[in-house]
Formats: sequence, C-alpha cells, structure tokens
Amino acid sequence: MVVLGVAASDSHAVANHLIAHSLRAQGLTVVNLGTCTPVSEFADACELYPAAEAVIIGSLNGHIHEDLHDLADAKLQGRINCPVIVGGNLSVGSAKDESSTTRLYELGVDHVLAHPDSLVPLLDSLRAVGAPVTRELVDTTAR
Amino acid sequence: MSTDSPSSFGGDAVPAVPELPTLRESADYIRKLGKPSAAEVLESCRLAGRVALQPRCGVGGHKEMGALLAQLERDGRADILTLTIDSHTRLLRFDNAARALRADPRTLNGYPLVTHGWERGRELNESVAPPMEIRHGSPDARPLFQVAVASGITSFEGGGISYNLPYSKDVPLAHSLEAWAEVDSVCGELAGLGIIVDRELFGTLTAVLVRVDQPGGEHAGGGGRGRRGRALHLRLLPAERPAGAGRGRAAGHPAARRRYLPAGVQIHAVLHEFMGVFPRERNHAEELIFYGALTARLGGASKMITKTYQEALGIPDTEANVAGLRLADIANSELLGFVSVDSGAVAEELEWICREVAEIVEPVLEARNLRSGIVTAFAEGKLDIPFSASRHARSEITPLRDPSGAIRYQEHGGLPLSDASVKRNRRLLAEGRPGGPARPTCSRC
Ligand code: B12
Repeated sequence: MVVLGVAASDSHAVANHLIAHSLRAQGLTVVNLGTCTPVSEFADACELYPAAEAVIIGSLNGHIHEDLHDLADAKLQGRINCPVIVGGNLSVGSAKDESSTTRLYELGVDHVLAHPDSLVPLLDSLRAVGAPVTRELVDTTAR
Repeated sequence: MSTDSPSSFGGDAVPAVPELPTLRESADYIRKLGKPSAAEVLESCRLAGRVALQPRCGVGGHKEMGALLAQLERDGRADILTLTIDSHTRLLRFDNAARALRADPRTLNGYPLVTHGWERGRELNESVAPPMEIRHGSPDARPLFQVAVASGITSFEGGGISYNLPYSKDVPLAHSLEAWAEVDSVCGELAGLGIIVDRELFGTLTAVLVRVDQPGGEHAGGGGRGRRGRALHLRLLPAERPAGAGRGRAAGHPAARRRYLPAGVQIHAVLHEFMGVFPRERNHAEELIFYGALTARLGGASKMITKTYQEALGIPDTEANVAGLRLADIANSELLGFVSVDSGAVAEELEWICREVAEIVEPVLEARNLRSGIVTAFAEGKLDIPFSASRHARSEITPLRDPSGAIRYQEHGGLPLSDASVKRNRRLLAEGRPGGPARPTCSRC
C-alpha cells in the first residue's frame, strides 16, 4: 500500500491520475490524496494507514521545496515513518541543476525519481531490504 | 492560522490586507495614471486588423519583475502585459509566499503581489505603457483583487468555477462563487466611479486532453488545436456568468456567449496557444506556437495568450518569452491573407457546439437560484470537467481527438446531452479509425 499525492501549492492533476492508475494496475493499493496536499495531510494518512510502504509526492509547479518545508518536522515527530519519494518538475525555471535534488534530501526526502516507471522497482527493492526504512534525517532546524 | 489550511476557505473571513487606499482613491489614481484600458487596446488592435499579443509572465523578485516587463514591452512588443501570480498566493498561502520571497525570490513561480504590496504594484504599473492584467488561479481572489485595484490594475482574470476546479482540491464551489460574486460587485462599484474593470474568464479549465490512442505521438493532435480551444471554452464556460460590472469579456466563441448575456455587453474571444503537454524540442514547440497564433487570426480572436519554446521545461527565461511573442506576431502578417478556412464546415461545427452548449447549460440557467443550481449540477455530474484538480467536480467525462484532430466526448458522464449529440460524437470518433466506418469524403470539421 502507498500514499500518493501532489504537493501543497500544486494543482496539476494529470500525472497524479496516471500514476495512481498505473500503480493500481500493477497490483498496489493506492491511497490517493490528489492535488494540493500539505505535509500534515500526508502525515494524517500515514497514521490512518500504518501499512503504507511509502509516501509518493509529485510536484510540477516548481514549489516542492517550500511545500515540503515542514516534512522534516513530521518525520522527527514520528508522524511519517515510511520512505518519502518525490518526482516531477522540481524547480522553477527552464535551466535545471542538481541542487534542487540535494535540497530535497536535506528536507527529509528519501528518494528522488526522474520517472514514474521507476516507482515499482524502487518499492520492490525497499520491500526486499525490509523497509520501511528512511534515510537518516539531516536535522536542518539545528543548523 | 496554520499556513497549510487557509481557514478562510471554510468560512467567510477575508484575510485582511493591511493599509489599502479606499476605492475612491484608487479610482482617482487610475484616472490620473491615464493608461489605456485593456478593452481600449483590444479595440484599437481590432481596428488595425491584428490579434493583440499578451505573454504569461511572473517572477518572484520585484526588480526582476520590472526588468521582465520592460523587456517584454520593448523587445516583445506586447500589447497587454501580465502579472502572473505565484501558486502560494493563489491559494492564500501568504506565509509560504513570504518565506520563499525572503529565502530566494527565484524559487517562486510568479509574482507574489499581495506580499510585495500595492505600492510596488503601482511602481510596476507606472513603469510600462501597456495595460496590465492579473492572471492567477485563485478560488478566493478577494485579497489579491483588493491589492490589484489599489495598484491601479484594471484587468483581472478568473471566476468562481474556472478558478476553482483546475486550481484547488477542496474549496467548495459555493464558497468560490460567493467570493467571486464579491469581486464582481466591487467591479460594479468601480463602474459607478467611472472605472471599468476588464474581467476575463479562464475557459480552458483543465486544459487536458486524452490522446492515448492517437498514433504519431506529440504531433498527432495537431489538426484540432484551435477547435480544441473553442470546443472546451464553449462547452464549459457559459455556466459562468459575468456579474456586476458593465462589461464582460469572454473567452468563448462570441456567437454562443451572446445568447446568454444581456445586450450591450462587449465580448472578446481570447485564444490560448496550446495548453497541453508541449514538445521539448524547440522547433516542434515553435510549430505548435505558430499554429496556435494562426488559429487565433483565422478564428477572429481579439487577443492571444502566448507560450514559449521552453514550455515543457519550466518557467521561460526572458529571451524565450520575447521569442514566443515575436513568433506569434508573424501570424498577424498581411502576407498570410491568403490562408483561409472552410467556412461551411466551421458554420456546421458552430451550430453543433451551440446545440451542445444549450443542452448542458440551459437546464442550469433555469434554476431559481443560479449559484446553488451550479453547485448541484456539479455534484450530480450534469456539469463536469475532465481531470479535475478538485473533488467538487466528478470528472466522469473524457475528451478525445477524432481522426481529424477535433475534440469530441469519448465519455460524456452525466452531461445531459441529447441522443443526437452523443451519436454524433461517437460517429466522428469512430470514423477513419482502423475498423471504424469510412470517413465521408466531404470536408467536415
Ligand atoms: C496542463 C498544464 C497545466 C493545467 C493543469 C491541468 C490539470 N488538471 O492538471 C493548468 C492550465 C491548470 C496549469 C496550471 C498551472 N501551471 Co501548468 N502546465 C501544464 C503543462 C502544459 C502540462 C502538465 C501535464 O499535465 N503533464 C502531464 C504529465 C503526465 O507529464 P509531465 O508533467 O511532463 O510529468 C512527467 C514528469 O514530470 C514525471 N512526474 C510527474 N509527476 C511525478 C510524480 C512522481 C512521484 C514521479 C516519480 C514522476 C513524476 O512523470 C511524468 C511523465 O514522464 C505543463 C507544461 C508541459 N509539460 O508541457 C505546465 C507546467 C507544469 N505548469 C506550470 C505552472 C507554473 C503552472 C501554474 C503554477 C501557473 C503559472 N505560474 O504559470 C498553474 C498551477 C497552479 C498551482 N496552484 O499549481 C509550469 C511549471 C514551471 C516550472 N516548474 O518551472 C509548466 C512546466 C509550464 C511552464 N513552462 O511554465 N498547468
């Protein structure tokens, strides 16, 4: 089972619909929270569905970092215990570089994927190593 | 207030915008500023025989926004300029907008006007000659509208349906309709003070088409792009009725809108260049941009909203935005006067579109209370959109291009279409497909 949704300030619906559809077609149970989902709502869903293997967050509008500003808190409080996977268009502007991915890891994201096709293989590999295991958190608030 | 759940979406509280000038002061300022209104610019472009050009443009930093506008005016020769507003502001997440602005303005996907404040809005407005429009996507635009008017900006996009369903997850339609009725009633007050606010409705709604079974990938949908714009506008827009101010401007086909509006309302058709997933390669993207611009010219649009060759990648840089405007302007060239469309086929299509519109909107317009009639119709699927971002539309309809490229209903969900309309949609989708009936040889849209 996975929890899926789009980041808080982002209303792009299409990739979300398609990813939900394709994960379901591959046999997964998907709790799809849809567009405009703040971290608090992902955390509520994790509490409601303790069997969730991962939280999968899409973002296209370029605002992923601000939208996940409170992710590390939710993880430190133990409200999100499973790995957090992020994908989509992960910065504002047409010129892209690695720093947007690095910053996501700093915010507490565990995996950044370029393509939705990598989701199922990643979930399989997490299951194989006995996930849920999340990356060690970098406590950005302490800096 | 938690930054993540704007409480104002639940109740009627309007987040207070501090220290705004009064409406009368703003009206005086607008008069003194003496800029042409968007409507005047559209009229003068029409007289000159050209489609007015307007870019999408919005960046986080104030200085950067000023520089962007200046260059789009000077090099892009835009007729109307835009302040595209960032996603946080659209959803009343002002704390997030402020934090992003402090941390790094380049991380914002638009200009956070409420956070920058109306004095800076005036600065931008005064720095360029063309009128400016606020383009956003706010289910509840009251604070943004107040700051826009105080900034002297008199062109404001949006409405209670079109800025709810594609732009938020869980704002009740009753709330957005009420919030926008307030915006429109302020437009009415401004009209009393001699200031006409130009209100544009966003007709493309989700802007999304399914084309999974279109052979040929990115190019398959080409033929119907223009019709796509029109079809979706028409089918979905008339449910919204501009209220208040004396002048409505609509993005639908004038013929269909006119039926449902009082006499004397000035109507302009606005064409958005292709709103779906763009090709990543520059030359393919530019073909699509030019095709859209040509459609605007041939369709008699008053203005077009341009795209850029960087559309698939991210918010464009200034150079790409300028290039998009210049490319679109080529479609205005007198040399292209020889390009024409099959007017018989267009007339036939228009008649069917008007019929479908009537079948969908007339039952809603009969409701004694229009606003609750709209809410109920969406709840029951009698009004609907595909790929809704919002839970408050059922999204039981699926649009699909027919082999000629025109958009049809593959699934019409709960829309109250007549048997004749449903049959026609089915027939046109089937014709010309492998295994489907042969396509008639006469040219048809
Ligand atoms: C259609 C569209 C819209 C429609 C959305 C309709 C709907 N119901 O969803 C409308 C018109 C409403 C819209 C609005 C806006 N949009 Co828009 N939109 C697009 C457009 C044209 C296509 C997006 C789409 O549907 N893609 C279909 C999906 C399937 O493909 P994809 O997006 O390429 O996603 C791929 C990958 O990113 C990845 N992926 C996506 N999600 C995920 C999730 C996971 C977990 C993984 C692993 C991978 C993954 O997989 C996909 C397949 O390869 C794109 C430009 C483009 N691509 O051509 C802009 C675009 C995404 N929009 C953009 C923006 C900014 C907005 C707005 C904020 C307005 C603005 N400021 O300009 C608003 C949204 C308001 C908000 N609150 O967020 C920008 C983002 C800019 C950036 N990151 O720098 C883009 C790139 C346009 C641009 N060049 O400026 N938009």
